[in-house]
Amino acid sequence: MSELSVKHLLGIKYLNKKDIQLIFETADHFKEVINRSIKKVPSLRDITIANIFFENSTRTKLSFELAEKRLSADVINFSAGQSSVKKGETLIDTVNNILSMKVDMVVMRHPNPGAGIFLSKHVKAAIVNAGDGAHEHPTQALLDSYSIRERLGDVGGKNVVIVGDILHSRVALSNIFALKLQGANVKVCGPKTLLPKYIESLGVGVETDLRKALNWCDVANMLRIQNERLDISYFPTTREYTQQFGVNKAMLDGLDKEIVIMHPGPINRGVEITSDVADSKQSIILNQVENGVAIRMAVIYLLASKIK
Amino acid sequence: MDILLKSAKIIDAGNKEYHLKKRDILIKNGVIENIAPKIEGTGKVKIIDYKNLHVSIGWFDSGVSFGEPGYEERETIANGLRTAAKSGFTDVILNPNTNPVPDGSGAIVFLKNAAKGQVTSLYPIGTLTKGGAGEVLAELYDMKNSGAVAFYDFKCPLKNSNLVKIALQYAQNFDGFIYSFPQDSKIAGKGIVNEGVVSTRLGLKGIPALAEELQISRDLFILGYTGGKLHIPTISTANSVKLISDAKKKGLNVSCSVAIHNLFLTDEALEEYNSLFKVMPPLRTKSDAKALLKGLTDGVIDFVTSDHNPMNIEQKHVEFDNAAFGTLGLESAFGALNQLLDIEKCIEILTKGRERYGLATPILKQGYKACLTLFNPDKTYTFTEKQLFSTSKNSMFLESTLKGSVYGTINNNRISLND
Repeated sequence: MSELSVKHLLGIKYLNKKDIQLIFETADHFKEVINRSIKKVPSLRDITIANIFFENSTRTKLSFELAEKRLSADVINFSAGQSSVKKGETLIDTVNNILSMKVDMVVMRHPNPGAGIFLSKHVKAAIVNAGDGAHEHPTQALLDSYSIRERLGDVGGKNVVIVGDILHSRVALSNIFALKLQGANVKVCGPKTLLPKYIESLGVGVETDLRKALNWCDVANMLRIQNERLDISYFPTTREYTQQFGVNKAMLDGLDKEIVIMHPGPINRGVEITSDVADSKQSIILNQVENGVAIRMAVIYLLASKIK
Repeated sequence: MDILLKSAKIIDAGNKEYHLKKRDILIKNGVIENIAPKIEGTGKVKIIDYKNLHVSIGWFDSGVSFGEPGYEERETIANGLRTAAKSGFTDVILNPNTNPVPDGSGAIVFLKNAAKGQVTSLYPIGTLTKGGAGEVLAELYDMKNSGAVAFYDFKCPLKNSNLVKIALQYAQNFDGFIYSFPQDSKIAGKGIVNEGVVSTRLGLKGIPALAEELQISRDLFILGYTGGKLHIPTISTANSVKLISDAKKKGLNVSCSVAIHNLFLTDEALEEYNSLFKVMPPLRTKSDAKALLKGLTDGVIDFVTSDHNPMNIEQKHVEFDNAAFGTLGLESAFGALNQLLDIEKCIEILTKGRERYGLATPILKQGYKACLTLFNPDKTYTFTEKQLFSTSKNSMFLESTLKGSVYGTINNNRISLND
C-alpha cells in the first residue's frame, strides 16, 4: 500500500504531488463511508488523538473531532483557555504532559507560525497542523482542492483566484502551495495593503481589480476579512472594502462563464460575498464543509498507519 | 610572570616593521620587553610555543551584552569578560542591556568596578534617555565623566525626532557619542524577521528594509542640521550602506557597525523556524550580506561587532514568535569573519574602531603595554557547544563551519589561555 512521504502534516509545502493524490483517493473512500447509514469504521480503535487548540475554532475543531470519531479513535480535547498555558507552562511541557497519557497524535491549532514544526522536533507524536498563525492550514487547502476536483474534475490547469486578506491568511498560503503543486494557475486579489509585498515569489499573479480577476478565473476562493488579526487599519471601512472586493450576484451573472465560489468560512454575509452568492448553485461552500471531514479522516488515517 | 611567545607570526599591517614576520616576543610585567628572531627564556618565564602561532594587537568588539545586573541568568560580567578573553577580545564595549539599565553615573561606576581584574577591559555605554524609555535625556555628561563611552537606548528606536536633534546638540561640548538604533518602529510594526521571499513563505511577520533605511535617512538629515557625533549600530541592509556612504562623502560625522552574523548568515536560515536565528536587526538576504561585506572592506562600515547577546534557554526554547532576539557572537566572531576575509583584512577589521570611542589603539612594539591576541588562522572546524564559554548557549553559529581558532589573549598584565 502506498503511504505518505511525511510523518506529520505540518504544511502543504512539505508534501509532494503523490501525497496529495493519495490523500484524495483515501478521502474518496471515506466520503463514501460517511454517506452510509453507519458512518463509522473501526480503523483507528487503537489510536488516541488529542485536539489541542490554542486559538478559537469552531468548525475546524468539530470537523477534526468528527473525522477522528468516525475512524473510531479515542479523542481528547484541550483548549488553551482552560489550561495551564495561562499559568505560564511552555508549549513543549503542555504537549508532553498530554503525551504522557499515551496519546499517539496531536492535532494542533496555534497562533504562532511554525509552532507545529517546533513541536514536531521536540515531542514524540504525529502532529497535524490545524492552523499555525499566518503560516499554513493544510487540511483546509486539501479540502479546498478536493472540492474543486469534485466540481470541475481536476485541479490542474484551472484558474483560481484567492480574494481578500492574503497578508494574514494561512488559508491563502496553504492554498497557493496546494494549487501550484497540482498545476493550477493562481492569482491573488485584494487591496495592496493586504497582499504581501513578495507574494509573487510564490509563483502567483497579483490582480487588484476584482472584475478582471473574476473574468479570468474558474474558481474564486473568497477569504474572510479577519478583523481579529488586523492590528492596524488596512482599509478605511468594511463598507468601502465591500465596494471594491465584495462579490454579488449581479457581478457573477455578468460574467461570460459560470465560475465556482468557495469560502473557508465563517462567512461575513454582505462583506466578502452577498447572501444570494453564498446560497447560489455556483457556491460549493457547504460541499467544502462536508469534504472537510473526509479529508481529515484521510489525513489522520494515513498518518496513523505510519505510526503503526 | 614573564611570558615568552616563540616563533609567532605577527599580523600588524599598521606597523610595517614586524608585519608578517616570525618573531619571539618577550613580555615582562605586562610590557613588551623584546621582539627578536630568537629570544632565550631565562628564569621564571612561561614559554608559549604553539603550532602555527600568530599574534596581533588585541581585538576590539564594539558591542556586547552581559546581562548583569538584572539578567545574571543570561551572563555575568565576570564570565562575559572571560568569554571575551578566550574569544580573542581584549577590549569590549558593553551595551546597556541590563535591568535596570545604566542611565546614571552610579550604574556606570558599578559596571567599571565589576570589570576590574580581568584580561579583557570593559567600556560601558550608558542609555541616552532615562530608563532607556526614549523620552527624557539621561545625565550624559555625568555618565561620560564616570567612564561611559557612548549613549544608546539599546536596540530601541528613537521615535521622537526632536530628541535625536537635542541629544546631538547637547552632547557636542563634551564630545558625547550618540547612538540611534536604525529602525522606524511604525514601519517595522510587529515584524520579527526580514520581510522578503522567506518571510512570505513561512508566514512570519516581516520587517521591511525600508524601516531601517527610513530611520537612517532621518538621523542623517538631523545630523546634517545639528552636527555632533552619531553612530548607527548594527546596520543590516544594502541600501543602508549606500546611505551612510553618501553621508560620509558629504562630510557628516557618522559611523556605523555591522553584526558579524549579518555578514555570515541570511534569512534562508529561518526555514526551520529555529529561534537561534532570531536577531534584531533580522538576518537579511544574500545580496544584503554581500553589500554589507563590501561596505566593511571598503571602509564605509567603520567596524564590526559580535552583537554578543546571551539568552538563557527559557527565552529561546519556545515558539519562534515568543523567543527572545539575540545570539551569542564572541566565541564564533573570529572563525566566522576569517571565513569571509583573508587573515590580514580580518585582523585589520577586528582591531579597528577604538579611536571612535576615544580609546587608544594598542601598539605592538618594544616598550609598549602588551595587549595581544594569540591565534591560529588556518584551522577549519565545525563549531559546536564545546567551543562556547558563555553561561547561555544561544549561538546561531552552532554547526557552522568556521575557520581559525583563538589560543588566548594577553592584556592588563594578565594572560588568558584556552587550553
